[in-house]
Amino acid sequence: MSMQYDDDTKETLDRAVAARLAGLRNMPVDTTALDRAVRAQVPPLRARRTLLMRPMRAIAASFLVLAGVVTAVVLSTSSGPALASAAQMAQVHQDIVSGRIPVMQVDSIEAANRMLNSQSPDAPTLPQVPQSHVMACCMKSVHDKKMACVLLRDDGEPITLAVANGSDMKLAPAPVVSRNGVSYRVQSVGKLHMVMTERDGRWLCLISQLPADRLIDDAARVRF
Amino acid sequence: MDQEQANRRFYDLVWPHRADVLRLAQFLCRNGADAEDLAQETLLKAFRKLDRLQDGSEPKAWLLAILRNSWLDRLRAASAHPQISLSELTSEPAGQAPFQARESQESLKPEELLSDFSDQQIIDSLRRLPEEICWTLLLVDVQGLSQEEASEVLDVPTGTVKSRAHRGRKMLRELLLPLARERRLVRDDVNLPQEEP
Repeated sequence: MSMQYDDDTKETLDRAVAARLAGLRNMPVDTTALDRAVRAQVPPLRARRTLLMRPMRAIAASFLVLAGVVTAVVLSTSSGPALASAAQMAQVHQDIVSGRIPVMQVDSIEAANRMLNSQSPDAPTLPQVPQSHVMACCMKSVHDKKMACVLLRDDGEPITLAVANGSDMKLAPAPVVSRNGVSYRVQSVGKLHMVMTERDGRWLCLISQLPADRLIDDAARVRF
Repeated sequence: MDQEQANRRFYDLVWPHRADVLRLAQFLCRNGADAEDLAQETLLKAFRKLDRLQDGSEPKAWLLAILRNSWLDRLRAASAHPQISLSELTSEPAGQAPFQARESQESLKPEELLSDFSDQQIIDSLRRLPEEICWTLLLVDVQGLSQEEASEVLDVPTGTVKSRAHRGRKMLRELLLPLARERRLVRDDVNLPQEEP
């Protein structure tokens, strides 16, 4: 095999790697513990301290307790589940958005649940997602575990919401972001961001090009 | 500078970059507790050395230099970290060029192929690079420092930063090639010619 490996190619490859590495710059980090540790040694400005420190400590304490409870629930409900990789979930989103797999057009979560239930009686129930336009739904499997998927649109941007039984899927080993006592696993594949969490015994994953923080907000609004 | 002035300066100049420090520490450390510990040490050292940060200089690059020194101190203390000397790398490995190797009909752009890798896979591959190369990519590509800023952090000439960045990106592609093959992103029989010296 002889392939030209010219300067243009080298430059293109170089730029592609640099751009992929730049994507890591947007990985969300949870600075809560770091903030607490540093603030204990470098007290914030006096005005801030008197006004904010007590409530902050109270919030941090309740935050820790809630995080512990959530962790215990997650651990106790995740025996023998499958692991969906970030790449697999990104593929699911791209397949649905691009129409590479058959989907059913729907205009509400109720309609999506009816369609999915008629197709697969044991389909996981999709939750209500306020303020999102429902466009299509389908069933997908990852390692033989069923996921109900619904394509939403928020601010013109497609979002795939995948739901599975909590006993079927486990959360990916990804950086954890805690918000209001709930832990979210946040990952990115290229321009796609995804947020996984567990809620009411269900495993949830939201995938979109929207920022991860926005997806966390959406995940927090999900109601079963 | 009195205590209140020092605190104000710290929260004005250093504090906004704490997420960058923690993120970089997480890329370096394999466990979260170590990363938080390293980030905390960096921020506290920055607070103690605040009078050395000159007005008008870039706090982020200064902070990342402190992080790097703290990290190197830890490596020296542990003295168990596998390091590859740059001298072992003067001759680059045979040039296989991943991500340009599909049949023309199914060819994907390098950007698309690279986007198929998760952040964690990219981070794991970065960790396998030699220390100096890894740091160059972390500063220039991940943190977005200019080559001049990175050269100050690394205490090497700008030209060295440029060549290490180029070499590092190439090494990263080569590290990702087996994964790409495993996931059928490129064909198993792809065998590209060596890059010209």
